[in-house]
Formats: sequence, C-alpha cells, structure tokens
Amino acid sequence: MEQQVTNNSKKLKQLPQNLSSLKTVSYDVNARDKLHAIWFLGPSLLVLAVFVFYPMLRTLYLSLFLTNNLGKPTVFVGLQNYWSLLTSSSYLASLQATFVYVIAVSILTLIFGLLLAQAASFKVKGSNFFRTVFSGTMGVSVSVAAIFWLFMFNPSIGLLDQIASVLHLPVINWLTQPGWAMTAIVISTVWMNLGFTFLIFFGALQTVPVNLYEAAQIEGVSKSYQFFHITLPMISPTVFFVSIITLIESFKSFGLIDLMTAGGPNNATNLLVYRIYQDAFLNGNYGLASTESVILAIIIAIFTFLQFKILEKRVTYQ
Amino acid sequence: MMKMRQALLKTIGTAAAILTIGGVWATQVRAQATKRTKVVFWNEMTGPAQQKLNEFVKEFNQSQTKYQVVSQFEGNYNEAVQKILNTHGTDASPAVFQSMDISTSQIYHSGYTTPVQKFVDQDHYDIDKISPVARAFYSEKGKLLSMPFNTSQPVLYYNATLLKKYHITPPPTDPSYSDITRVATQLYQRSHQKVKGLSVEIYGWLFEQFMANSGESMANQADGHNGTPTKVNFDTPGAIKAMKWVQENLKSGALMNFGSGSSASANEMAAFLSGKLGIFLQSSADISQLTAGTKDKLGITYYPHPDGQKANGVAIGGASIWISNDKPATVQRGSWEFIKFLMKPENQAQWQAATGYLALNKDSQQEKVLQELYQKVPAAKVPSEQLSKTKPDETNSGVFLQGLIQERTLTQTAMDQIYNGSNIKNSLQQAEDAMNTYIKSNNQANGVK
Amino acid sequence: MSIELQKIAKSYADNLVLQDISVQIQTGEFFAIVGPSGCGKSTLLRMIAGLIPISAGILKIDNQVVNQLPPQQRKLTMVFQNYALFPFLNVHDNVGFGLKARKLAPVKVEKRVKEALELVNLSEFAARKPRELSGGQRQRVALARAIASDAKICLMDEPLSNLDAQLRGKMRSEIRELQQRLGLTLIYVTHDQIEAMTMADRIMVLNDQQIQQVGTPTEIYQRPQNAFVAGFFGTPRINLLPVQHAVAKQLVVDESLTVNLNQPLPAGKYYLGIRPNDLRADFASEKTNAALRNLEYLGTQSVIHAELDNGQLVRVTVDGKLTAGINQRLLVTAEQNFIVFNEQQQAVLFAERGKQIGTTSNQQLQEA
Repeated sequence: MEQQVTNNSKKLKQLPQNLSSLKTVSYDVNARDKLHAIWFLGPSLLVLAVFVFYPMLRTLYLSLFLTNNLGKPTVFVGLQNYWSLLTSSSYLASLQATFVYVIAVSILTLIFGLLLAQAASFKVKGSNFFRTVFSGTMGVSVSVAAIFWLFMFNPSIGLLDQIASVLHLPVINWLTQPGWAMTAIVISTVWMNLGFTFLIFFGALQTVPVNLYEAAQIEGVSKSYQFFHITLPMISPTVFFVSIITLIESFKSFGLIDLMTAGGPNNATNLLVYRIYQDAFLNGNYGLASTESVILAIIIAIFTFLQFKILEKRVTYQ
Repeated sequence: MMKMRQALLKTIGTAAAILTIGGVWATQVRAQATKRTKVVFWNEMTGPAQQKLNEFVKEFNQSQTKYQVVSQFEGNYNEAVQKILNTHGTDASPAVFQSMDISTSQIYHSGYTTPVQKFVDQDHYDIDKISPVARAFYSEKGKLLSMPFNTSQPVLYYNATLLKKYHITPPPTDPSYSDITRVATQLYQRSHQKVKGLSVEIYGWLFEQFMANSGESMANQADGHNGTPTKVNFDTPGAIKAMKWVQENLKSGALMNFGSGSSASANEMAAFLSGKLGIFLQSSADISQLTAGTKDKLGITYYPHPDGQKANGVAIGGASIWISNDKPATVQRGSWEFIKFLMKPENQAQWQAATGYLALNKDSQQEKVLQELYQKVPAAKVPSEQLSKTKPDETNSGVFLQGLIQERTLTQTAMDQIYNGSNIKNSLQQAEDAMNTYIKSNNQANGVK
Repeated sequence: MSIELQKIAKSYADNLVLQDISVQIQTGEFFAIVGPSGCGKSTLLRMIAGLIPISAGILKIDNQVVNQLPPQQRKLTMVFQNYALFPFLNVHDNVGFGLKARKLAPVKVEKRVKEALELVNLSEFAARKPRELSGGQRQRVALARAIASDAKICLMDEPLSNLDAQLRGKMRSEIRELQQRLGLTLIYVTHDQIEAMTMADRIMVLNDQQIQQVGTPTEIYQRPQNAFVAGFFGTPRINLLPVQHAVAKQLVVDESLTVNLNQPLPAGKYYLGIRPNDLRADFASEKTNAALRNLEYLGTQSVIHAELDNGQLVRVTVDGKLTAGINQRLLVTAEQNFIVFNEQQQAVLFAERGKQIGTTSNQQLQEA
C-alpha cells in the first residue's frame, strides 16, 4: 500500500508536466472514444455522485437550517449555526482539545512507531518475538482496546494505580480529571495506532539497502547520524504517508472516546467527531451536526494541505 | 471417468432432493405463519432481560392463534430512536416498539404512534393496577401514551457486610443526605481510607432525581406535562443542596468520582463488588447483577433526600412500549394484546425476578416468584416499596421535554465541573443557559411558539 | 599500506564459509579475488572491511592486527556493487557525505569533493541526483566518494557487474588508471575472469571455501594449479579429456588425438587439458575421428563443438569463418601445448612448444 501511495504521489508530481505537454499535442478525440470514456468512467462517477457528492451537498445544505425532531430542515437560518458554534466557548474548547489530541497523537505515534521499528530491526536474538508483539495491536479492535485501557486506568482496581500505590506515587484518577483524561485517551490512541505504524515503518526500514549503512560505517559515520541522515530521508515517503494517515485518523477518532470517557470529564475529551455524533444521533440536531461536519472537513483539508506544503519538500521519492 | 460421473450425478441428485424437501417444508411453515397477523416488535434489551423478553414473546405466540409477534433487537436505545423515526411509514417499520424514557416527548411529538389510552378505554382495561408513578411518566395531560415496561427507580445500595465489619450503623430506609454522609465518612475513616464511602455517578438521571425528590420541577409547564416547556431551571435550592452534599463528601475524601458514561458505571460497579466502595446511587435494575457478583450482604435504601424535609419521591427510568400508527387496525390490536400479556401480574413478577426491573402490576407482589425472591434477598423488597410509596405529582413524573439527552449532557458537564471543585451556582447557571438556548431553537425548528 | 591475511576463516554456526585464507598484499598492488558466486569472496572482502567479524585467523593492515578494529579505524574505503549512493543527495553531497559526517572543516570537504569529482570527470554533474545519471556515471560517483575519503586502501565489491559490456571495458581501464595514479592498494572482488586478468597485478582464485591459487594473470592462465583454475580462466573453456594412461611416452585420447611426453608418467588415470586454440580441426582429411555438432561464429574466430568417435566432446577454435555443416566429419589433432592433471585434478605437467615442466605434484618429472 505504501508503495502504491508513493507511486501515486510520484504520478501526481509528474502530472503538471504531462498536462503542459498535452496542450502542445492535440489529440484527436473522436466521438467513439468519448463514448468509451463515458462507459468506463460512468459507473464510478455514479457511485461517487450517490455516495460522496450527494451526502456532501446535503450536509452543506442542512448546515444552513434548524432541523426538527424528525431530522427535517424546517427553519432556514443562514450562517447562524456557524456563528453560534464559533462563538460558543464549549465548541471552541472542543476545537482546542481536538488540536491538542491530534497533534499529540500524530507526533507520539510517529516517534514511537519509528523507535519500535528501528529497535526491532536490529538483528538480535528474540527480535522476531518483539516484531510480533509490536505489531500486535493491529489485531486489536477498538472495543477490546477500550476494555483493556479501562482496566488499566480503573481508579480502584486499575493496574496503573495499583503500581502507583506500591511505589507510593500519588494515585491518579485517569479518566475523571480533565487533564489526565486527555492524557489517558492520547496514550490509548497511540497504543492502538502503534501496531499499524510499526508494521509500515518496519517494512520501510527493510527496504533501505544495507550497503548504505555499510558505506557510512566504513566512513566512520555515527549511528545517530546514520539514523537522521540515511534512515529518515530514505523512508521519508513512508513517514509522510503515515503522518497524513495518522493525522486524518485522529481527527476522526471516535471509538475509544465513546467507550472510555464519552467526551468527559467536563468536555475535556469531547473531540469534534464525538460532538457531531452526540448532536446528530443523540440530540437529533442534524442541522448543527452538519455545520460541525462542514467545519471539521475544512479543518482537515487545511491541515492536509499544510502538511503537503511543508512536509513534502522534505520527502524524497526514488 | 465413469465412476466420477456417477458420483457427480449422485451428489446432484441428493442436493436436489434436499432442496425440494426443504422447499416444501418452508412453504408449509410459511403457510402456517400467514394465517396469523404478523406483529413486528422492536426492542433494545440485552442479557437476561433479552432472554426473558424472548420467552414472553414465545409464550404469547403459543397462548393464542391470531397474532404472531416477531421480536427484533435494534441495538442501543439511542440508535433505536433514530431508526424508529426514520423507518416510519415504510415496510421496515415496527408495529410495536420499546423506546427509552427520555425519548418519550420526542416519540409523542413525532405523531407516529397511537396512544395506548385508546385501547385502555376500548377494553375498559383496569389501568389502576399499573403503578401510577410509572404511568405518570408516560402520560400527557392524563392520557397514557405508551405502556411503561422495563422500569426502575434510582435507589441507594450499600455493602452491609462492610458496615458490619467496621461496626457502622446502617442508614435508615428513607435516609437524608447527612445520614449517608455519616455512614460514608465512618466507612472511609475506619477503613483507614482503604474503602471509599460513597459514589454518586455523574449522571443526569440522578441529578433529575435530586430535584424530583426535593419536589422541584426542572422544566416549566409542570415539567412539560401541561404543555411544551420553554425554559428549564437547574440552579434550584434542591439541586444546590444535593451538589453541596456531593462537594462536602468529596472534600472529606469519602466520595469517589467515577466520572460519567458507561465506563463510569462499570467502574463504580466493579469497585463496589470488590469491596472498595461502600455506598452508591444507581438504578434498582442493578440488583440482580449485585446479588450475583458478590457474597457480601447487600443493603438497599430509598433515594436520599435533603435534610429537614420529607422525600417527595423519585421518578422512574427505563423504557415503555409504543404502538405505531402506520399499521392496520388488526396489527395495532395485536400489539395491544401483546402489551396486555406483558403486563399480566405473573409475567411482571417473573420479569422482576429475572431482571431486577420492577414489577408494575400491583397484583404481582403476591406472586410466588417474588415472595421467594424477597425471602432470599430481603433488600430486594425496598425498591418495590419505594415505587408503591411514591405518589406521582408534577415534579416526580419525569420531565416531558424534547432534548432530554442534551439536558443530561449539560447537567453532566455541570456535575463534572462541580466534582472538580468549581462553583455550584455558576456551573448550574451555565448549563441552564445552554439548555434554554437549545430549547428555544428546538422549539423554533419544531414550530412551537 | 600492505595487508596480510593469516589463516583467516569464516563460519556461520556450524557452516564453514571460508578457511585457511593466507596471503600478503603489497602496498600499491591491484589484487583481484575471483571465484564463482557463493565462493565466499564477498565475505572475505567484508571481513577485511570490518563489516562482519572474522571467525578465526589474523588480519593485519600495515603490520598492525586489526581484527577487533571497527571499519572506520582500518583506514580503508569501499565501493559497492550497487554503488550505495544516497538517492536523496546530489552527486556533490554524496561524495562529501562521510567527510561532513566526520565533521571535517567545510573548506576541506569542498576541496576534496572538487578534486575527487575532477578525477572522475564528473565536475559538471555535481548538482545532479543519482537517478539522473547513467550507470557508468553512478559508478564514477562511487569511485569519487572512495577517492575523497583519502584512504589508501580501497575495497571494491563487483563494482562493474551492473554495467553493460562496453561500459565495463571502459571503466576497467579508468579504475586501473586511477589506482595507479593515486597509488591505491586495491582489493577487487569479481566473478568475471576477464576483469581479473586485464586489471590485476595478482589474482586469488577462490573455490570450495579455500584458495585455489594466487598468482599473476600469466601464471594463473599458463600454470593453473588445478583443473578448476584452468577451467575458470580462458574462453572458450579448456578441454579436459580423461585419459587412461598406459603407453610410456604418450597420452592417447584416441588414435589420432595424442600428445607426446618427454618423460614417462606412471600408469593411471589423468586428465589432459588442452585449450581450444591448441587443437586443430581438419575437414579435408580423409581420416576422421569426430563429427561436428555445433559451430559458433565469433567474428575473428569460430568455435567448433565436435564429438569424438569415443563419445567425448571437444571445443576447437579456428580463425575466421568456417563453412561446414552439422554432422560433417573432421579430424581433431593436438598441438604440443597442454597441461596434464592427475586423478585429483592437480596439475602434474605443463607442456609448451615442446618444453615440459613437472609440478610439485609430480616429483618424478624434471624439466626436459
């Protein structure tokens, strides 16, 4: 998959050149070709229209309305939904919490994923065992992960606090204190992400030719210099890919929050997607939920765009 | 080659025979079923309640030949509400369905249901046998909208064995806040802070009951029973007293905050069952789980009330059963027959024994199965007594308001803040303002002036 | 900078890969290690480089034991088969990578990179990325990197095997020229006998985990110690014809294909090694002893594959183009240039234009 993405991005990069060359060469597109094109593209266009474009437009439409308890738009309010959200302190708090969460999760996932992958790449006895263990969370469903971490964080019988009490450390109410709840959710999410990230990074590390390290070794290049100046640039497409995926995924985080904190305490973990869920499917407030969806989509688009702008400069495709 | 072909032919022959037999059998079964009127019943019960409910369905189908009730599980309460509203008028919609307490106003205002009062009147059904508090919850201006079914009230649970161990006098059956504070503090101190005294989950339902038990309405228009509410009031004296009580116990360290959400109640239950928590407020439906989960003796009291005033009684929670109006009269009649079956004294008694939900038929208390239960677990009688003792009024019949989920979210956020030490009045006021804004726009969207 | 290998061995678990490798490599020598794939030649090079540990034996560089020294302290550099260039760096930065990592002063780095690129004629490509270069140019970047490191020992692991034949020829002379000019001690691993023959001062032939022979290209070609070495060098391959020896001063393959011995050999089984250009083919003769089975035309010469009447196959080279049909009869005879191997395939006799020299494996024979 990583390979594919790399290839696609490569194609994307090459696209502008191809387009400009298209301008100079005029293709003779006859009617039959056009018909063929419609036959081939039509079905996928239809699927996109039904399942992507229509819901998108519908969401945009609903975001301008108040909806009644049957979910029907009844009163047109223009941008009032947007205005009331952007001036609501609780929504702004959600926004801030989401940024904190997304950035923390993305960065920690990347760092720990890379660390584990690098550690497992060393050819020592038992490294196979660790490879299996590290990629283990791939096979863990959100609900199982939530149960596991709920037990870890449990205030009376939880493992973490039992360890803390043995070590005479202060006992933390992980999920009921606003600051700690966010920490707990971040830890659980990073843990969940690690299996996939580890596997992708581990695979990428294996594609770095051993000769590069040997050449560096012979020249007396230190291990850390090798990591930052050989390993990182060599796997930069993968790092880029993982960072985009992780970022988007963490914006969309839902399961762990629903199961562990339900957005609490005091909305400390009430991230944007969870809020949308609550407003749409618990409060039946589809108009407001649509507005929140539109805002979230814009935010993700901006983040992804920035990431492409900033990070892609540092990515080398081979 | 020849052999292979023979084998193949044999296999095909056998398969064809099986298909034919199967087909004939299926047609016969279908033929039998089509003689009866099909009544699709949507429910959201899980665990032992689901099991018992399916037994009822089976028994009902066997008890008569006119109707065939088909029970379908629809996930959790919240999801079910959306499905009910979204499928109405289509082939996929249910004839009779279970929906949670706080969706009552929403379901009623959808106009998708036939009030059960219609059938009560047609049949001259003796509705007085059914618990008046439960009925009050699901009534609008005295008219019964749906039949209360799985019903519980919040009660106070305590670990009697633990209290005995630390030589603590148990709380009275109808305790005040200070009664509970005493027990909780003693337990916390005498156990050398190993056992937490008390937990009050951050749960909007409990907050509503603090107000109900103080005799205060949350929403105007008599908690919505007289008309669509336009305003709520959260920072009432009763609510403030209850929150002060919580903060007082938090300060002393006796109260354990488990937070909100499903994990909170699970953690709370786990702590209680493992003897690390002495007292907690929770639904009476938890009783079967509690008696099964620990060998310690279980104590139960009524929901606590403010000092210096009498308990006004608490509202119920749970869910009720509704009849859809998008089905022909015969199907609706079948739905009603099924509801009547469920409400029979013996069935209600079995229901309580099997699930912990309260038997709503007054005659159920004389049933053998309940008598045996009370003998085995004397405390199990307390919730039933609380229910029968409660006289329904404007404040303890539930809040008839659309957007109760929003109300719960907001009151829970306020509780969260209060549990983390913030000013009670400010937090409640903030939640109240947010709720009033919500009500205003919701009423606007639904065409209520 | 001389290099000395004393009884070096390498084993993985119970698996012996190399044993008893001893050789002394002189300062400034171009030393080739040749052998078929899997013979352990790259392993040997990596042990010298310090990339993998030596299982047994002693490795000395400049008379100092370096077995335990990490690669960077062995003062050598290495060029890899796939060049080991960093795809994300341009030519300039690739060449300067190690220098920069070792925190050499930027001015010095600049100077060395510039010089190295000039030496390999790549100055104008300094800003290009490896993927924008041809195979030969990439190879030269790798060379430049080795040059820039300023080490006096250079190890090369099949550096030309990814290039096409023409480019290979060109690079051979370039590498040789550079080595001479910089006075490098160069250890060059290859599986290509032509590379070894054309470039090296001395060649080490490896097979079956051990040294088969060490010597100059001429020695290796003309005095192969055993049938393996004889067969490995020279195209087309040398003919190795089994002979049951009984006649005192003659080795008889068949009636017409015989060689004369100056001194008698003891009776027994031998292998007669005759290079294809030392056999003669006569299609005009009335007397014949073979049939043509295949004919390869190479331009200046043709290779005849013939089957002797006793069933043995022989290769014969003749000048120019030959017009002969398959299965045509011919007479195959021998010049008096040949090598005799004993039953263990060790050389016992070298015959050149009538001169015959016995080897240590054949104490009975004296120079005739």
